[in-house]
Amino acid sequence: MFRLQDSKVLAVDMTGDAVKAKNGSMVAYDGQMAFKKMSGGGEGLRGMVTRRLTGEQMTVMEVKGHGTCWFADRASEINLVTLRGDTLYVESSNLLATDAGLRTGTTFTGLRGASQGNGLFTTTVEGHGQAAIMSDGQAVVLRVSAQYPLTVDPGAYVAHQGNLRQSFQSGVTFRTLLGEGGGEAFQIRFEGDGLVYVQPSERNTIAGDV
Amino acid sequence: MSHYPGAGPAVHDPMTLPSDDNVNAYTFCVELKGSQWFLQKGKMIAYYGSMEFNGIGHGRLDRLVRTSFHSPLHASDWVVAEGSGKMLLADRAFDVNSYDLEDGNLTIRSGNLLAFQPSLTLKQSIVPGFLTLIGTGKFVAASNGPVVFMEPPIRVDPQALVGWADCPSPCHHYDHGYMTGVMGGLRALTGLGGASGEEHQFEFAGAGTVLLQSSETLMAEQATGTPPPDAGVPGSGGVRTGSSQAAGTPRLPGQLGDLQRRFGL
Repeated sequence: MFRLQDSKVLAVDMTGDAVKAKNGSMVAYDGQMAFKKMSGGGEGLRGMVTRRLTGEQMTVMEVKGHGTCWFADRASEINLVTLRGDTLYVESSNLLATDAGLRTGTTFTGLRGASQGNGLFTTTVEGHGQAAIMSDGQAVVLRVSAQYPLTVDPGAYVAHQGNLRQSFQSGVTFRTLLGEGGGEAFQIRFEGDGLVYVQPSERNTIAGDV
Repeated sequence: MSHYPGAGPAVHDPMTLPSDDNVNAYTFCVELKGSQWFLQKGKMIAYYGSMEFNGIGHGRLDRLVRTSFHSPLHASDWVVAEGSGKMLLADRAFDVNSYDLEDGNLTIRSGNLLAFQPSLTLKQSIVPGFLTLIGTGKFVAASNGPVVFMEPPIRVDPQALVGWADCPSPCHHYDHGYMTGVMGGLRALTGLGGASGEEHQFEFAGAGTVLLQSSETLMAEQATGTPPPDAGVPGSGGVRTGSSQAAGTPRLPGQLGDLQRRFGL
């Protein structure tokens, strides 16, 4: 029921069911739709407090009705993700919409989050259903498997799903301090089995110029 | 767990990623097999395999400055990637494309050049803000919108120019009749009577290729280093000979001549 109208507009066909979407991201709809703001992203009081504490705020609305609803946000490229019981880790600012049946929450990311400049926490989406995530430029989906671990620039990382271990790599040497670094001082290494979404653009990170 | 049908865009792994080709319009994949590539700092977004990224100009890489960077002044903005595996390059979601040079030369706006093979040599162009690549090899350049190739003789908009190959340096072209005289001055100052914003172009002559981007949004300029302050070196801040119109005088795009000349005085 999630489909891409084009690479920047998400169309959701609904027959009485509901989706959760970023507040204010609806651009058009036909049929009958009701929009309801969900305080705390529908995660209950505990989720709301957690989000406030972790800085992973997201304002979410619930869209319910019959017909088609179109979503877009600042002309970002949209990527569809299908979840089959696994977990998607995504920055709350990159999450556009999820099936109402998917559970969202927050999790600690440690140093990776710090190196991305996005804070120490990230959003998780789990369950069975579809989600739409946004990227700056068309995202590239890279598979990580046992024989092919992947290393990603923190500024280009968008999301990942599956059973992945991540470790933080630092290439900081005395040369970095001398201003002769390789420009890629911080990296995230993914091992295990899953998918990583990277965008063809780098956010400004503390490591950007090191 | 291994399959995600309908998961949106195609899923890539090291087997399906292209070798030295585009993954999509904004991402380029470079395959390293113990070889080296030069890239601008911070343009790598992800890689498979084992790779090392080192700033140029120290230790065992010092040699490279001599062989591939004939202008050590901006070498610190560049990184050598070496190792084996596949690496993805991208730049602020701009279009990227690779080009092959065969025993040729190409001059490109410094901000647009992303990466190149060490078989090419990179030099500062005498046109300030541009770099020249000479030799045989592949390079990757970013542009705002797809690149269009044109053949001289041609006049191009300064903001749309990405670079040029095999042809002599461009010269400025002004729509003289339209700009000068009392009416021209009034038009330029007030915008009344149609200042089209296209009174100034770059003119290319001779044989070669001119690369244009399909938008007039400039990409951020990358420092190319200042040439030594010798007399007669454009952009060096050195002793200037001749008129005050010498290159290097900062001027706004629409501001083309001095006022007196505008009004024909």
